[in-house]
Amino acid sequence: MLEVSNIDVYHGDLKALWNISLNLNEGEIVALIGSNGAGKSTLLETIAGLLIPATGRVLFNGVRLDKEPSQRVVQLGVSLVPEDRGIFPYMSVLENLELGAFNKRGRRLKDETLKFVYGLFPILKDRGSQPAGTLSGGEQQMLAIGKGLLSKPKLLMLDEPSMGLAPLVTRNIFEAIYQINRIGVSILLVEQNVRITLSIASRAYIIENGRIVHHGDSKNLLNDEQVRHAYLGTIDI
Amino acid sequence: MTGNWKRISVGGGILALLVILPLITTRSDILTWSCLTLQYILLSQSWNIIGGYAGQVNLGHAAFFGLGALTTRYLWLSALPLPFALLAGALMATAFALLIGIPAFRLRGIYFVIGTLVLAEILKVVVDTRLPVASVLPAPILATYSVVPRYYISLIGAVLAVATVYGIHHSKLGLGLIAIRENEDAAKTSGVNILKYKLVALAISTFPAGLAGGIFAFYMIAIQPGYVFAPVWTFDPVIIVFIGGIGTIIGPLIGSIFFVLLKQWMSLYLPGGFHLAVFGVLFIVVVLYLPNGLVEVIRRHTKLIKTFG
Amino acid sequence: MFEFLAQTFVNGINVGALYGLAAVGLSLIFGVMRILNVAHGEFLMIGGYVGFWLFTLYGLDPFIGLPLVVIFLFLFGAAFYKVVFARVAKFHEELRLKNSLLIGFGLYLIFPQIAMLLWTPDERAISPVYSGKAFDILGIRFGYVPLGGVLVALIVIIGLQLFLTQTYFGKSLRGTAENWKAAKLSGIDIDRTFMITFALGISLAGLAGVIISLIQELTPVMGMPWTLKALIVVVLAGMGSIGGVFIAGLILGIVEAVSAIFMGPYTIAIGMLIFLIILMVRPQGLFGRT
Repeated sequence: MLEVSNIDVYHGDLKALWNISLNLNEGEIVALIGSNGAGKSTLLETIAGLLIPATGRVLFNGVRLDKEPSQRVVQLGVSLVPEDRGIFPYMSVLENLELGAFNKRGRRLKDETLKFVYGLFPILKDRGSQPAGTLSGGEQQMLAIGKGLLSKPKLLMLDEPSMGLAPLVTRNIFEAIYQINRIGVSILLVEQNVRITLSIASRAYIIENGRIVHHGDSKNLLNDEQVRHAYLGTIDI
Repeated sequence: MTGNWKRISVGGGILALLVILPLITTRSDILTWSCLTLQYILLSQSWNIIGGYAGQVNLGHAAFFGLGALTTRYLWLSALPLPFALLAGALMATAFALLIGIPAFRLRGIYFVIGTLVLAEILKVVVDTRLPVASVLPAPILATYSVVPRYYISLIGAVLAVATVYGIHHSKLGLGLIAIRENEDAAKTSGVNILKYKLVALAISTFPAGLAGGIFAFYMIAIQPGYVFAPVWTFDPVIIVFIGGIGTIIGPLIGSIFFVLLKQWMSLYLPGGFHLAVFGVLFIVVVLYLPNGLVEVIRRHTKLIKTFG
Repeated sequence: MFEFLAQTFVNGINVGALYGLAAVGLSLIFGVMRILNVAHGEFLMIGGYVGFWLFTLYGLDPFIGLPLVVIFLFLFGAAFYKVVFARVAKFHEELRLKNSLLIGFGLYLIFPQIAMLLWTPDERAISPVYSGKAFDILGIRFGYVPLGGVLVALIVIIGLQLFLTQTYFGKSLRGTAENWKAAKLSGIDIDRTFMITFALGISLAGLAGVIISLIQELTPVMGMPWTLKALIVVVLAGMGSIGGVFIAGLILGIVEAVSAIFMGPYTIAIGMLIFLIILMVRPQGLFGRT
């Protein structure tokens, strides 16, 4: 479904990604693991069309995403929930969700998607008219995910959804992610919280200093010595 | 090293030519144009310091020009010897700059630009209201009016201005200013005292601006006091600096010559004032496509010449 | 005494409504695009002249002709954006602001000259039959034209509010203003949004220009003073607060009207001085968010 082939990405003059290749099949939850500054966000932003790779290509269901503007990427069915959550702080929760459905497909199916989102995160319905900036961290993350869902994506990319959240809230979020995958949305998940990520993802890529250094099935990675030393020692639960 | 010697000898040659110009020609139009160009060099270099090197787009430059002009005019016409009147004018401008500098630099970016613009406007309105009558040179001075001494004073002013910019360019101050211009926050964390550098730049910039005003006051036969605070005295040097090449030593030089020549040439064929529209277009072209102005164009051109022998 | 004060107040509101109208387009463009169009007054001037043409050549009443002026300037603004400002909008924020400033400056040099060619430097005005006429209530004079101006201002505020809060596109404008990256990720076409916002801002400037030309002279050089006025109102309201612009305009209008009683010719200077002080003390304006 998603095929990233040999992309190099620069931030201005600084090279951020070296020869990255990655793929994701329909229905999968794939994880991208790495420490701070490894290039995870850069990769997601590139797929989403915010950055253009200097070389290589990004294919999504046969269409070259790297040649499309970001609004087309959303229309094609790829949605990114960024690290900073990407919400509109002075607009109401409902307005935020509505704007998530801005693209044609999303708008058409807005009402039923809203129902699904409220089913996942009932608090969003309660707080509908509040300015999004007044929500707590966990609620904002739920809003961000809900917003992403309203664009009716085939692939939902999540950049560190658990960041700064308490363990209980994190568990809720990950349960929601699992539910989202169950209704047919493929997920590309970037996280630092490795253990819980590997528990829901089927495969994972490990990225370090802008390069993919390891990848494989979650089970194998969990048992891999190197991975355990490098990453499972940095769990923050 | 030979490159430097070449530059110095070319510069010296031009300077020598300029010095003897009034001796080899009596055409008043050449002298007048040259005199104006030199004044523009002085004024535009002064803006170059604060706008080009420090990167602070000061749109209130006319205020300093005007203060220098009025101070010099009244002191000179009150029988103070010209050099003192000019000095007083320039100092007045600088004093005002230091006065408003501290509060002004509390404003960042766009607020600074708008603030300086509004400040100059306030001065203009006040002066227009308080001094509505034009100041005309009294008969005895008018009788002996000659462009020549005005030419030489303008030449001295222009040379001083270029020398000042040259000095800044090759000094620690210059480095600091460029750092501030490129990335103020980064400069602050590297230990640059932002406010001090900006104030110094402003002071160094407004002294020649006031001097330019004073020379203008000496040069003009009749002056409407409000006129020397008009926005044109901010905008002309800004145009010159940008089109010539901002933040360079030669840029304002090329820009001034280009400006005066083009202005004179266009006034022959186009209705009065239309030269501004042409400059406006050039200005936009520079901002969008040639951020380093004519200096860049010439550099590329001379490279081409070198490549093709 | 009451009559005098009340009249001053009414005059202040009349002028203040104009200030708000003049400033709202500028605020819109800045809020969404972070571009400060210092040629705003030039477009205002063009709008005035277009209204003047419609009135003088076709006898079209300026109030009725407003929609035409708006449409024309909308298209004009969109074209301008594509040709000139689109490049600047691609830069990142600081450079964008500085460069848009400089480009606006270039336009400020060009427009008056073009206007002088097209309409001569002579002062014009749009003077339909009812201009100058007024009616009295309790000894207070309400001019027809200024009243029309206030009404137009009200319609614009309400219309703009409805547009921004009730329509999808309007909401996307607000979203883009708050977080353009998030807007992009929501599937909003930022380029198109910018172009339409810019065109809208310009058409609002033109609309203001028509009303102003009913009250003041229309000259090729009226652009810059009105740009300054609009700038002051926008900063006073707070960059990015579109609704606050009208309130700020009214406040400025009333303050000027009152201070004119004491300060006479220095009134303009006082307004600007107050502006500078507020800039120092509270740069985010009355309603702005930091």
